[in-house]
Amino acid sequence: MSKFLEVKNLKKYYETNRGTLHAVDGVSFSLEKGETLGVVGESGCGKSTLGQTVLHLRKPTEGEIYFNGEDISNPTKKKRHDLCQHMQIIFQDPFSSLNPRMTVKQIISEPLKIFNAVKNKGELEERVAKLMETVGLAKRFVNTYPHELDGGRRQRIGIARALALEPSFIVCDEPVSALDVSIQAQVLNLMQDLQEQLNLTYIFITHDLSVVKHISNNIMVMYLGVVVEHTSSQSLFAAPLHPYTKALLSAIPHSDIDMPRERILLRGEISSPIEPPPGCRFAKRCNYATEKCFTEDPVMEEIYPGHEVACHNVKEINAIP
Amino acid sequence: MKTKDTTVFLEVKNLVIHYETDNGVVEAVNNISFKMNRGETLSLVGETGAGKTTTALGLLNLVPNPPGRIIAGEILLNGENLLKMSPHQMQKIRGSKITMIFQDPMTSLNPIETVGDQISEVIKLHNKVSRAEAAQMACDMLEKVGIPAERYGDYPHQFSGGMKQRVVIAIALACDPELLISDEPTSALDVTIQAQVLDTMRHLKQELKTSMLMITHDLGVVAETSDNVAVMYAGEIVEYGALRQVFKDTRHPYTQALFDSLPDINKNVERLIPIKGLTPDPSSLPNYCSFYDRCTKRMEECRKTDPAVLDVGDGHLVKCLLFASERSSHE
Repeated sequence: MSKFLEVKNLKKYYETNRGTLHAVDGVSFSLEKGETLGVVGESGCGKSTLGQTVLHLRKPTEGEIYFNGEDISNPTKKKRHDLCQHMQIIFQDPFSSLNPRMTVKQIISEPLKIFNAVKNKGELEERVAKLMETVGLAKRFVNTYPHELDGGRRQRIGIARALALEPSFIVCDEPVSALDVSIQAQVLNLMQDLQEQLNLTYIFITHDLSVVKHISNNIMVMYLGVVVEHTSSQSLFAAPLHPYTKALLSAIPHSDIDMPRERILLRGEISSPIEPPPGCRFAKRCNYATEKCFTEDPVMEEIYPGHEVACHNVKEINAIP
Repeated sequence: MKTKDTTVFLEVKNLVIHYETDNGVVEAVNNISFKMNRGETLSLVGETGAGKTTTALGLLNLVPNPPGRIIAGEILLNGENLLKMSPHQMQKIRGSKITMIFQDPMTSLNPIETVGDQISEVIKLHNKVSRAEAAQMACDMLEKVGIPAERYGDYPHQFSGGMKQRVVIAIALACDPELLISDEPTSALDVTIQAQVLDTMRHLKQELKTSMLMITHDLGVVAETSDNVAVMYAGEIVEYGALRQVFKDTRHPYTQALFDSLPDINKNVERLIPIKGLTPDPSSLPNYCSFYDRCTKRMEECRKTDPAVLDVGDGHLVKCLLFASERSSHE
């Protein structure tokens, strides 16, 4: 049986004045239907570019993408257009991703009109009303403009728009990071409910590790365009293996004041993704780096069933025989 | 070096700040009072629009006017009321006695001046020193925040976000202030960088014995930095106490709801418990408890009066009627 989504060695490079920028540099993963894959990493690690490249919002430089077993690595213009019915995106900022000159109704009905998904005006109104109900937006907002609404409600419009064509796959790019915690919880619950009701598959991109833990089945940790660790949400938080993941998890300030804190402070900052030198991307900041780390690219290796790590010294660091 | 004493050096009494707009009066800060001891870190926690930043700007008398106006209250720094000072006197306090770090390091530095000059500018303004002495002090400050002194002549754009925030911290601490106000100092930074910056701030605070007013929405950051916590909602402090009192003996339903709505990295929760509804419109606040509409423990009386602030034990203050009976039984 073929996977729902399969991505092989995906690369996205940008040419800049200072050389080639490796935004996404050889990422491979697969997704089952109904699964949520969390993608975490710090700014500039390529997580948003990855999400947008998978959807063909950006043209991949190299690599293969299979959606429901079909090769969509190099779609024709028409195919690319049709894919929008199956895959959608929710953006981070509900303030800038909605057209300020369109009403809620116009925003939600736009995809339906583009794809001629409704026969007449009556049906359109019905669909819009249904979508607003699904995402918990009261009917009275149908003719309001985005600026009249708060962040949580705006993000609900973004979700309704993404759901309009009944897609099976949604990339959620930091959908709750612009929201206050009490509103964030409402939106996260909504997204979980929708996933259950509509059997949606999510790629959930975020920098917030507690959010990603809450919502994901599996998690990929990215660093400078590459995946360094990929495993189930549970084992990632119980026993992270990659030194970067360990540092990242230890850096989260947590609100339980009785939890012991063992913070791993990293040296320096993320290096430039332009013409990266050979070797492990993380080597310069790693406390365990050896000579090999600066010369040879580590590859993803399955250390435990379903737990992949890209690190030369993973066995020594974690005392794995 | 200053000796550490625990006397109260800052006292805010019944501070009220309004923004008078064409669409009505926005009641941003409503009658808040708190005290700070020397060397203490107090966190103001709350969601967008709770009045945290306005409170901080109020302390510096920097509330944009118009539309903002400090309606009532007193801000006593070492017994002197800042609100009664002339603009000139206030100017001397800002930057030397009280300083502030803003959320976004990208916009709080001057892009066309070197970082070294930006630090020595503050030093020259508040101290009688020569240009060379100021430059030397600026270099020392850079080293203190973890930036090599050689970068004195670099411009802000040559630094990363975390480094820029370090420069901002260096400027804020250059004149050895009594109070440092940090408005979301690490919210724009990545977690590993946030950890580095918080670590630097912690060390400097200990070394310089500076008191800090930390404004944040991140309960994790609060837990790691603060001695005392004030939880703000709709322009009021609804709960105040020592870190342990507020985090482990949470009393106010809003504080509890904040904790419940947060995904916790150490727990497995199937569903989060959001706070239903939205924060009330600050231009038409109710004359009863402002959390009433969203509260899960509300009672009939809550709609009738604005609850008074009660001490539920050892300086743990709660503004909620649930504890009114408890206190009367104490007495």
